[in-house]
Amino acid sequence: MSGRLACVALAATLLAAPLAAQQAPPDLSGAWAPYRGGRGADPKFAAPPATPILLKGTYKTSWDERRAAEDAATKRGEPLATPAVDCIPYGMPRMMSVALYPLEIIQRPTQVTMVTEAFSEVRRVFMNQPQMPIDEVPPGYYGHSVGRWEGDTLVVDTVGIKTTIPAYQMIPHSDQMRITERIRLVASDYLHDQITIEDPIALEKPLTYTLAYRRMPNYKMVEFVCENNREYVDSNGAVRLRLGQ
Amino acid sequence: MRRQLALWGVLGVLALCGAARLQAHHSFAMFDTTNRITLTGTVTQFQWTNPHAYIELDVPDGANPPKHWTVELGSTSILQQGGWKFTDVKPKQTITVVISPLRSGQPAGLLFRITLADGRVLSNGPGPAGGQP
Repeated sequence: MSGRLACVALAATLLAAPLAAQQAPPDLSGAWAPYRGGRGADPKFAAPPATPILLKGTYKTSWDERRAAEDAATKRGEPLATPAVDCIPYGMPRMMSVALYPLEIIQRPTQVTMVTEAFSEVRRVFMNQPQMPIDEVPPGYYGHSVGRWEGDTLVVDTVGIKTTIPAYQMIPHSDQMRITERIRLVASDYLHDQITIEDPIALEKPLTYTLAYRRMPNYKMVEFVCENNREYVDSNGAVRLRLGQ
Repeated sequence: MRRQLALWGVLGVLALCGAARLQAHHSFAMFDTTNRITLTGTVTQFQWTNPHAYIELDVPDGANPPKHWTVELGSTSILQQGGWKFTDVKPKQTITVVISPLRSGQPAGLLFRITLADGRVLSNGPGPAGGQP
């Protein structure tokens, strides 16, 4: 009986694989707004909860210390500076969801380009190419991303993110971090990006979280040039505001 | 029904926890968001810029010159999502703003709600503008 079941399963897989390969991928092109749930939101389309963050050794200590200092400073009303205060872009993976700022996806068979409204960040996902060895990718804000379609899911593999760029929830990471995204439509106007961060040096276990987005039909992306940054970091590391006249 | 309410409760708590670590250009903790003050004055400048827009405002307080206030708004992207236009505020107009002041006591604050010279009311981005200060 089990042998027969296995045969049926195998036959189904063999049939399904070419079908999936033939299917045209869904078109994700357009502007997408972060969808955070909350009042009036449909829980069906909200992101599922994240897995726990399990950092190793000194990575854990430095993150715990940073969070404690951040909480204390915020209570004092003197928030600690992040690179964003100096108008330094977020980089991967935090750029994928910033407050209410939309994300634009431009999909071509050979390249998927993602442009964020906050800081006008740009990522390029090269389709159907082998990934480079991590140690050969010049470390940067967006690293080197390759993508492929698995049925209706765009799978993106990213390596080469600078260690100075904090990752999800501001966690520190090593130069061996790998980000795998599984991006798919959960309904015609709702998109999920399931992000898995693997880092054998910094993380005890890979962590996975999901970002949800809602389609913004006909939205025209707005420019964002950081020309009037009045915030600055004082000698105590707190954020201050330059007043006008 | 009860189970559904519990689910909404859990989602609400998750949303709040998420909101606490929601990333933006900066933390708004330098402003005392539990406190709101209302100012009516004359616009000296409106800067439609990023990462934030600013209104510079002279507020009469009996002294000469009047006291000057700086009002921080969201980014132009967030304001546009809330129905703002770059022409909504102009120098020499009289406007009323409800702001959360800086904790440092300096004369500046984060916009909560504005009554424009033409009487329209806008908030600092998407969301209802009718809440009480």
